[in-house]
Amino acid sequence: MKFRIKNRHFILFALLLLIVLRFSRLSEIAVLFYSFIRSLFDRHVDTLSALNFSLTDNFFSLIFLTVLVVFLFFGKRGKPVLDKAADFTSIVIIVLFIFFIFAPFAATTEPDFQNNIGVTKLLPPFSEVKMIHPVYSNYATDLYSVESRLLNDNSIYIDSIRKAENGYYYFQKGIKTRAEINKIEFKDGLPLMGRRIFILGTDEYGRDVFSRLVYGTRISMIVGLGAVIVSFLLGISFGFLSGYSGWFIDTVLNRFTDMFLSIPVIFLIILILTFFGNSIFTIIFILGFSGWMSLFKIVRSEVISIKQKDFFIAASRIGLSNRKLLTREILPVIIAPVIVNLIFQYGNVILAEAALSYLGLGTGLNYPSWGAMIEAGQEYLSQAWWMIFFPGLTLVLTLFTANNLGRELNLYYNPGISE
Amino acid sequence: MKESFGRAVLYRIISSLLILFFLISFLFVLLRISPGGPEQKFISPQLKPELIEKVRESFNLDKPITEQYSAFLLNSIRGNFGISYNYREPVFDVIMEYLPFTLIFALIVVIVQLLLSFWLSFISISRLNSRADRYISKFTLLLYSIPTFVAGVFLIYIFSEKLNVFPSSGLKSIQHSDMDSAARFWDYIEHLILPVITLCLGGIAVYYRYLRDNLEEIYTKPFILNLRAAGVNEKEITLRHVIPNAVNPLITVTGIDLGLLLSGALITEVIFGLPGMGRLTVTAILTRDYPLVLGCTFTAGIFIIITNLAADIVKARIDKRLIKGISG
Repeated sequence: MKFRIKNRHFILFALLLLIVLRFSRLSEIAVLFYSFIRSLFDRHVDTLSALNFSLTDNFFSLIFLTVLVVFLFFGKRGKPVLDKAADFTSIVIIVLFIFFIFAPFAATTEPDFQNNIGVTKLLPPFSEVKMIHPVYSNYATDLYSVESRLLNDNSIYIDSIRKAENGYYYFQKGIKTRAEINKIEFKDGLPLMGRRIFILGTDEYGRDVFSRLVYGTRISMIVGLGAVIVSFLLGISFGFLSGYSGWFIDTVLNRFTDMFLSIPVIFLIILILTFFGNSIFTIIFILGFSGWMSLFKIVRSEVISIKQKDFFIAASRIGLSNRKLLTREILPVIIAPVIVNLIFQYGNVILAEAALSYLGLGTGLNYPSWGAMIEAGQEYLSQAWWMIFFPGLTLVLTLFTANNLGRELNLYYNPGISE
Repeated sequence: MKESFGRAVLYRIISSLLILFFLISFLFVLLRISPGGPEQKFISPQLKPELIEKVRESFNLDKPITEQYSAFLLNSIRGNFGISYNYREPVFDVIMEYLPFTLIFALIVVIVQLLLSFWLSFISISRLNSRADRYISKFTLLLYSIPTFVAGVFLIYIFSEKLNVFPSSGLKSIQHSDMDSAARFWDYIEHLILPVITLCLGGIAVYYRYLRDNLEEIYTKPFILNLRAAGVNEKEITLRHVIPNAVNPLITVTGIDLGLLLSGALITEVIFGLPGMGRLTVTAILTRDYPLVLGCTFTAGIFIIITNLAADIVKARIDKRLIKGISG
């Protein structure tokens, strides 16, 4: 039998690659986690108050990484999704999910980390920058100092360094600065030089484009999934209500939906976002609210036809509640077209979120968003094509995957349609 | 037959206008209950609060909402949508400045989309399930996945920054007023090529998918086989029997698409700095120019009603059974 790469193998390969490439960081986080647990027993109030978002994020990623690797190695074989042969669609989905969950490990820096803009500004992809490390005041192993060493990256990016009598001079775009011997780290009598490679270049503030892309996955996925859930709930409940209730409610709801289908929704979204403020919750809700109409139409027509089938009449005569009728009798029948619709809807929502960020009506969070990155890069188009190319490519790949997946599922559920 | 056709159209127009009326009313209330107001733009916070009241009074915003609404309705029936807060001109005149461009642009885009998708789907259908067919299918899916702003920015990068063949923004160049009429026309065309390509990409994919699937379905029907057996030539089969049967969903999609384009291709207009309805609407929203927002929505609604109705009428002309569909 020919060996084929399955999704399981690809996930394992990607995770192991992550572990190998980021081993030093992972081990530091593991040490930090250990000291965190230990000091939890001594001074739990202080320790818990030190727990911020970034720290929690790192810890959860570490725990989840371990659990996932163990599960993939020792878990039962023969799962329908995990042990399917890997293709382009599933590879993109896996990579996006890894970016989403393990963002602190996949990204090389924090998304907003910037230092010495003069040196790092607008660097092309694969450029390498030298850096020296300042000495930390104390090397105590208590939680605070470990945390500050790990999470507050304060290395200094430099162009070159030269020795003088009483210290070292380093140069940043022609500006000479003196570093005293006891202020920077040394190794074997020479300053400890590090290098950082910016795989996808840097933006106008010297921030790493790759890290921002990785963290941007989170915004895009959270908004996408949240909005899809909102439109699922709205579409299913209104569709059931409309199909199952009497003539009056049906007509009113149907006309209402027609009204929303007939106007350009983007203007309504912009109007509501500008007037009522844009936060991530309003964006999720408004995008979910603008996408339930097609689902409503599907569910309504299916409910109207199911309503006359024998099994449904029997179930309603037994006296099942409306909720049970919906979840037990109708949902299992219509789940296929609903899922296909939701996947297309997911693509639309991601597109809409990126477009809103591009127009400057994004989530208003510190997290970077793909659309906002493209918008920022437009000003530097002639100097830095990578600022737009990579977010744009990621966006196109994500949308392509969503559309492709939807089409494949559609073909799978309706074998009659030709390719 | 003729009478029922007219009645169906009338019924449709009345019900659509009713929907539009509800939409405008909904929007009117939404604008009035939203926090903040148009006076923010004109009055700085350092000034006296009485001045704010004065500005609100000049905009007629100090009256109770029911009174404002009835005044608005009475004026709109007479065709007067009020005076724009920003432009200090009647809303109708402001919209008329932006509308011609949007009309021409939307028509060009829809025609290009239709031509290209017809061409692609006939290539596809003549080599059914071949490699070319599959590649075109994947390629259009990829086109569909490229967001407008990504495509637009890349076209600007390639054709304006690197090759320097097309201008990157605006509708006229600086020397426009010194040119003769032929050069002016060419100037417009040069400025419109990139926006049209940007806006077309997604639409081509959608049209192609509808057209190709339907063409395939019709070509495999027994009556086509019968016609071929009877010796009718292939051109006549395609023109007289296949296309009229296959374009039905395409016409619906074109109607919806044209309606949306006429209400403004917002993102394309923003990228290329074009003076269209989309930007006008969003500027009106951002500066809280209430009469202009309502006017733009009304215009967009009218266009959407007209295009969808036109699509249904065209469908009914092709297939008489669809007259019933006009009234719904």
